[in-house]
Amino acid sequence: MNLFQIITELEKVDPEIADRLTHRRSALSALGSFGKKAALAAAPIAIGSAFNKAVGQNTLTAVNDVLNYALLLERLEYAFYDQALRAPALAANLTSGSAARGAIETIRTHELAHVNLLTAALGSAAAAAPTFDFGTTAFSNYASFLTFAQAFEDTGVRAYKGQAGNIPRTLNPTVGGTQVNLLTVALQIHSVEARHAAHIRYMRRGAAAGAQTTIMPWIVGAEANMAPAAVYGAGVPAANFPAENNLVQAGITLTTGIGATYTEADVSAAFDEPLDNTTVTNIARSVAKF
Amino acid sequence: MSDSAFSFLGRTLRRRSFLRVAGATVASSALVLAGCDSNDDTETPAPTTASLTFSNDNFGLLNYVYLLEQLEAAFYQKVVSSFPSDFTAADRAAFTDLRDHEVIHRETLKYALGSNAYDANAGTNGMVFDFSSFALTSRTGVYTAARTLEDVGVAAYNGVAKLLQVVTDGSHLTYLKLLVKLASVEARHAAFVRDQLQASSFADTDIVTAAGDLAGLDTVKTPVEVTALIAKYVPVTIVATSLPTT
Repeated sequence: MNLFQIITELEKVDPEIADRLTHRRSALSALGSFGKKAALAAAPIAIGSAFNKAVGQNTLTAVNDVLNYALLLERLEYAFYDQALRAPALAANLTSGSAARGAIETIRTHELAHVNLLTAALGSAAAAAPTFDFGTTAFSNYASFLTFAQAFEDTGVRAYKGQAGNIPRTLNPTVGGTQVNLLTVALQIHSVEARHAAHIRYMRRGAAAGAQTTIMPWIVGAEANMAPAAVYGAGVPAANFPAENNLVQAGITLTTGIGATYTEADVSAAFDEPLDNTTVTNIARSVAKF
Repeated sequence: MSDSAFSFLGRTLRRRSFLRVAGATVASSALVLAGCDSNDDTETPAPTTASLTFSNDNFGLLNYVYLLEQLEAAFYQKVVSSFPSDFTAADRAAFTDLRDHEVIHRETLKYALGSNAYDANAGTNGMVFDFSSFALTSRTGVYTAARTLEDVGVAAYNGVAKLLQVVTDGSHLTYLKLLVKLASVEARHAAFVRDQLQASSFADTDIVTAAGDLAGLDTVKTPVEVTALIAKYVPVTIVATSLPTT
């Protein structure tokens, strides 16, 4: 299952879905940066009406589209950790009662909770669960496993960030017996994924984990640390989904533009960047079959 | 509270400059600073009446986040300027990074707010925070303080997103996309300082819900909840009740 398949399925019941998604995306793209403020000021009515139209088309179906995409990623992460915890080659490093196993079990528990929450929010609209094959490399040794884990967590953070603008702030469905705000829930998952990413990155410092002793919990530049470079690269379009070494925020180059001089390492690390769903799905398919 | 804690009001916001700030913020609808009575012609307004009221719009929300980043940056700056004696070289390097990240966050929000920043006219004499409630002379004390501030920051970012009011120029989406870029870095910070304080506590059950419908979700707090938690560090009364609540 991927987004294009989801859209194809939706087209069977809603022939205009592709058009609506396209319009919505272009309107959001047009509003993608502070740098376009001038353009917005020059053409407020044109952009404004395009945006209003886009909001009007952001139907529940489209939101379910976003939620099913999130569900796919959470299912992938859960399957990854669940398989890792049962992988023979990792048993020596993920020994019962160890801090490492405890951390991975904690993360697996969170991913399963995210799967359950998104499944409940989607109800009958939830996509069928695929099976995931991570190949022979991912679980062949501890260092490899943690490299994959870093890739999935950092990609997950970017994936949620990339959808934040696509979730209306006013959707408050009931999950189980509790009413939630969908945008808030998405960000609560987003920050948990970032906590996971920070911890996994630090685990890689260990001698048995590959002794990546310079790796930080935050992303410095677009340094992939042996994970796929695409995890830290630009999405499509790059103007809206810049690479992690992006130095421009709020329309200004922060290394030199705001009074003092800041290093590229600090500026890039101070911000995580969003990623579009197509690039995220391509990254996932480059390391797993599903 | 120390004299320095009130320099923001006592020195910076003397009556004349106070009026300039108030005028600018009224014009921009960014926020309202209140605190001077009609007889206030001295250079030291009564501190107990000083308050910082965030306005009921997106600029109010951004100023609220800006204040949090100012608080975090000031905290790390204080630590970096006088490391506890048991800080390792790795601790020092990490806290220098954390300081730099938070200063960059602060300056980015200040730039984004422009004339709508609540302290746009305060010059170099910004808010002076009071960290006397923290024990900053030991590694444990410093990491405990950092954990408190970072976890609050994560909860604040998670709570502010849905409050951004939809405006016709689409700027709410621009703000949302900027804030979420900072939010996950705050979560990385939080995980790091938690792990340093207590191994593998990066996502413990005190911050990530363990069971029930909301299992697996990070903490979320409203501006009113957050400002109550940080009140002791801020030398003025913060009024967050005017901010959007839905």
